[in-house]
Order: sequence, then C-alpha cells, then structure tokens
Amino acid sequence: MVEVSLERVTKRFGRVVALDQVSLVFEDGKFTALLGPSGSGKTTLLYIIAGIYKPTSGRIYFGGEDVTDLPPNKRNVGLVFQNYALYPHMTVYDNIAFPLRLRKLPESKIDRKVREVAKMLRIEELLDRYPSQLSGGQQQRVALARALVKEPTVLLLDEPLSNLDALLRVSIRAELKRLQKDLGITTIYVTHDQAEALSMADTVVVIDRGRVQQVDTPQNIYNRPRNLFVATFIGSPPANVLYARLTEKNPSLACVEVNKARFCFEGERAARLSRLGGEEVVLAFRPERARLGTEPRSDMLSIPAEVYVVETLGRENVVTLVVGASMVKVVTPPSQVPRLGESYYVLVDPRDVMLFDPVTELNIDYIEA
Amino acid sequence: MARLALRRARAEARAAERVMGDVETLRSARRAYLLAAVLGAASLPMVLLYLLLVLSSFADTIVTGPDILEARYSLDNWLMFFRGEVAPAAGRLYTTADILATIANTAIVALGVTAVVVFTSVLAGYAFSRMRFRWRRGLMTFIILLHAFPGVALIIAVYAMYVWSSMPLARSEGAMVAYAFAFTVLARASLELPMSIWLMKGFFDRIPWEVEWSALIDGASRLRAWWQIVLPQVKPGIAALAIFAFLAGWEDLIYVHVFLYIGTAGKVKTLATLIEELTANIETSYLPVVAAAGTLYLLPTILFFVLTQKLLLEAYSGGLKA
Ligand SMILES: Nc1ncnc2c1ncn2[C@@H]1O[C@H](COP(=O)(O)OP(=O)(O)OP(=O)(O)O)[C@@H](O)[C@H]1O
Ligand SMILES: [Mg+2]
Repeated sequence: MVEVSLERVTKRFGRVVALDQVSLVFEDGKFTALLGPSGSGKTTLLYIIAGIYKPTSGRIYFGGEDVTDLPPNKRNVGLVFQNYALYPHMTVYDNIAFPLRLRKLPESKIDRKVREVAKMLRIEELLDRYPSQLSGGQQQRVALARALVKEPTVLLLDEPLSNLDALLRVSIRAELKRLQKDLGITTIYVTHDQAEALSMADTVVVIDRGRVQQVDTPQNIYNRPRNLFVATFIGSPPANVLYARLTEKNPSLACVEVNKARFCFEGERAARLSRLGGEEVVLAFRPERARLGTEPRSDMLSIPAEVYVVETLGRENVVTLVVGASMVKVVTPPSQVPRLGESYYVLVDPRDVMLFDPVTELNIDYIEA
Repeated sequence: MARLALRRARAEARAAERVMGDVETLRSARRAYLLAAVLGAASLPMVLLYLLLVLSSFADTIVTGPDILEARYSLDNWLMFFRGEVAPAAGRLYTTADILATIANTAIVALGVTAVVVFTSVLAGYAFSRMRFRWRRGLMTFIILLHAFPGVALIIAVYAMYVWSSMPLARSEGAMVAYAFAFTVLARASLELPMSIWLMKGFFDRIPWEVEWSALIDGASRLRAWWQIVLPQVKPGIAALAIFAFLAGWEDLIYVHVFLYIGTAGKVKTLATLIEELTANIETSYLPVVAAAGTLYLLPTILFFVLTQKLLLEAYSGGLKA
C-alpha cells in the first residue's frame, strides 16, 4: 500500500558495517525476496525498515513520507521475527489479538478477525494454548497471524516458513502470496530457500556483506547475474566457475582458452571481451545448462574433463568432473550415468556462458562502455 | 501466586526442553530419596528447635525435651499475649503493652521495605538490563561493592545522618514518628537494594529483545510494552524479591532498634524490639508468653517455607501437565 525506499542507508554496530550505503526501492504492493548468506545484513535491513534500528546515516521513506525518525509503533508494519518473539504469558488468541486491542477495536470485531486469520493459517485448534506448548512450525504460524491480523501497509518476514514441513510450506506459501496480492501489501521476505524466493517474488534482492549485489526479476537473477557472487550464490548446485585465458582480443572476434579448449565469441560479446583490461576472463555456466558429450562441437564451448563423482538423485544425476585444477558440476538426465574416470567433453551453448571481469567480478554484459 | 508459578513452570519446561530434552525429568528415584534423607537429617536440629518454640507458646513452661509430656497446654499464653500482658510486674499484675500496635508497626516496616525495594529494583533492573547510558558499567560494579558492605558497618554514618536530618522535626512528636518510620524503611530497604537490582536485571536479561520490539511494532508505546509485555514475564522474580524484602523488614532488629526504637525513645516497637525488651530482663519475664511472641515473629518465615513448598510442587506438576 506504500512504496518503501531506502536512500544510502548505512548501519554500523561499533566497527561492524552491517549495511553499507544501501539504496533500494520496494515497489508498492510488490513481493520482494531478500536473499543473502548468513550475516549479510538481511535482518538488520528489516529492522531498519521497521524502525527498531536507526540507520547510522541515510533516509527511509514510506511513500513520500520520511519515516527515518518515526518510532516503530507509528509505522504500521507487520514483522515476523526470525525467532517468532511470541508473548509467552499470553495465549495464542491473545497474542494475535494484541495489536488489535492496542487499536481499541470492539471485542466482537477482534474476535472475528482473529478467527479468520487463524483459520487461514490453520491454527484454530491452538488458540487456547500458550506459545511454549507449540511446535516451532506452529509458533511460526502464530507469529505470521499476529503480523497479518493488523493488515499492515508493509509486511516484513524474516524466514517465516523455515520451520514448516515441505507440504505445509508449499500450501502456506501459496496462501501468503494470494493474501499479499489481495491486500496489496508491500512485502519483503527474507529466506534461505532460493526456490521459494525465485518462485514467489516479483523482485529479488541479493545482498552480501551489507551491500546490494543485484536487484532484478527472478529470471534475470538466475540467467543474468550481475556479478560472480550472485552467479555462485544462486542456484543449486551454483554456477561453475572457470578461469580462462583471452588469446584473441579483437572487437569482432575474441577467443578464450580453457584447459586446452578454445572457443571464439563474435559480435557484441567479442566487443565487450576486447575491452577487458587483462589477459584473463572468468567463465561461468549453470550445471543444468551444460551437457556431456563424447566429441567436441564447433558451435559449443567444449571443455575436456574427467568424471570424478556421480550423484544419482533419481530425477537427474549430478556429475562432478575435473577440469585442469578445477571442478565443474553438470546435471545429466537419469539415462546418462557416466562411470568414474571416464573422459567427456563438457558442452555449453555460448549463450549460456556467462563472462566476468576477473578484477571487478562484474558480468561483462553489465559493464558500461 | 499459583498462576505465576504455572507460568514460570512453563517457561522453565520450555527452556529445559530446548537444552536437555527429557533427560531433566528422568532423575533416578533412589537418588531423590537419598538426597531428601540427607537434607532432612541436616536440618533436623533446626526444625526441632522451632518446634519446641511453637510448643512452648502453648505450654505453661518452656519445654526443652522430655518435659514435653509433663507440660500442660492451653491457649492462655496467646490470650495473654494479645491482651498485652507480656511483662509481669508484681504478683499477678502486668504492665500492658499494645500488641496490635506492635504488630502493625512491624507490618508497616515490612511492607514499606517491600514497596521501596520492589519499586526501585524493578525500575533500576530494567534500566541496567535494557538501556545504554553513561557510567552504566561503573554503576553496576559500584552497586555490587555496596552489597559487599555489611549493614552494621554503615550504621554509625547512617545514624549521624538520621540525627542531623531529624533535627528540625524534634518539636513535633507526630512528625518525628513518621520520620522515624520513613527513615527506617529507606535505610533498611537500601541494604536490600544492591542484590535486588542485580536479581531484577538478571530476570529482565532473560527476556529476548525481540519480544519487546514485537510489542512496539504491534503499536504499543515503550511504556505499554514494558507494562503489558515485559513486566508480566518477570512476575516470578518480583514475587521472590517481594518475599525476601518483606522478611528482611519483618525480621530486622538492628535498624529498627536504632532508628525506630531509640529514635522514638522506645515508644514505637516492632515484634523484634519487643522480644528484645522482654528477654532483656529474663529473670522476671514469663517466657511462654515470649515464646508466643517469638512464634508470631517467625510466622512469615514459616509461612514462606510452607507456601513455596506448595508453589514448587505446583510448579513442577504444572510443568508436567503442559
Ligand atoms: N546488535 C548487533 N550488534 C553488533 N553486531 C550486530 C548486531 N546485529 C547484527 N550485527 C552484525 O551485523 C551483521 C549483519 O547481521 P544480520 O543479523 O542482519 O544478518 P542476517 O543476514 O540476518 O543473517 P542470518 O541469515 O544469519 O539471520 C553481522 O555481521 C552481525 O554480526
Ligand atoms: Mg537474520
């Protein structure tokens, strides 16, 4: 219901810089997933938006309003804490009713709303219990109910489904997404589950060590990572990375060599490669976008490799191969089960090859001329 | 009380679950009996002495052992005590004392100490636990140092303060008595404060920040979050604190003697100073009545032990039910 924007927000805890000059816009009514490794500043970012932490510098806006100095109780945000933070001395019912009682709603209306949200999250039978009598997943749903019941303008979720079993997670996820769309709540969702992030979010924000790495659609985060960090953080297994030598640097034809395999790029790619400073380039490709072949192909990057480990997962196999001093992973169909020590060519379509500047680690597609 | 205990039990059960699963509840029964036997044997002499005191308060003589069977028992001592016939003068005449006033005085001191201690240590404990201000660490260390100071060692300085500060009031007796009460309560409470503040800080420390933040985000002001979310969670701590403070005030002799008894020239007595007075001339006093006074004096302590036994029991069964 409002657009949330951060302007050069920095947060320091003593010497630790938890957020470093973060500028972000969370669009009105959109669902944004926040991805990042542990300690990257995700929780800090949510707390700053909620008003629990004051930024060391920078401003926060809800819509056009500057809320940087507004206390949390004046912001109408819903927040599900990573550790739920339920009120231990209140029943589940009273926990959920608490924000409504603070608003002095009539008790009959409170009752209706509490039961409604409890039904949606399937915690109706738990309303009379105390938080300590609930399982982790149940506590999580109560926390979610408490955040949703007040129909906040901004919903902040810190790994709200991490403790649910796979089945419940999928169904609550769908409900949540549906509700978010129906109510049009601007939602920011922290998760470690990339599949969840990529499937639910309109926008994905990848953050590392307090800095925003990329803000984009799930498709682009996956297919066109802005830098090496995003490429290697997203995906399971993550993208393969190989260091290649630039043997030819013409704006019309640029060739790379990796483990004695040579491949030449033309057109736009060649032009960008030719502008790179050094003689090296970082190649990356996704394991599921590569194939194993017995012969090299002229229209594909064909890297000779030797099978090291094969993991059979049923629906597919993940094959780890040795390429020079590095390892790469390739996903193969179940019918193709290579044997250890066998030699293959790892075949990658040039369109699926991502190229990064080894110094800045930026994807060359994003480097401005 | 029972509800408090239940809540605490739940919190504890949850903490135990997190740390050690069901190991905690599977103590061997034999070990428990052994422990009970050892503790029982060790505390037997104390329990016996208390028992003899209570028995004597109903007997026509102070019973000390085998004479338990020979003594005659009645409510006479207690009736005499409440009639104020505590100090025999000549023959069957008694100088009377106002026992109800004495009990009321004792209660005033005890409740006063409780109120001051609870109020101050709850606020200070919260501040030390949650707020970052200048000299926070220094103050906390200082408070612990204060605790290490024995109250008796302070009394000369505190007495000087008392004499000096009560000077302007000397003309009005009513003001003097009120001041003596206030001074006694404050002085005795300050002895309890260091430990209580630390205790309270510990209780507040155990509440995760997130719970308080959550209340703020739900729309509560800082004060309301404190009152409705934080405070209810430290109720067991407050209860414990209040009990200890009450007992300290009820049983205190030194401070009560110096400020209240001497300060009002013996007009305002508490149970402790009354017993002190009665036993001062032990040859003439009728000791079974003194035993009744002593029993009353010890009653809160005894009640406390009986009650917490029940509390503990309920707490544990409550924890199992949950
Ligand atoms: N109150 C604090 N005091 C000092 N340092 C803090 C505080 N809160 C967070 N940090 C530091 O700031 C950085 C970011 O922490 P944050 O909790 O935001 O990470 P996160 O991305 O939520 O991690 P996780 O996925 O493990 O929850 C970490 O290095 C952390 O140690
Ligand atoms: Mg976190």
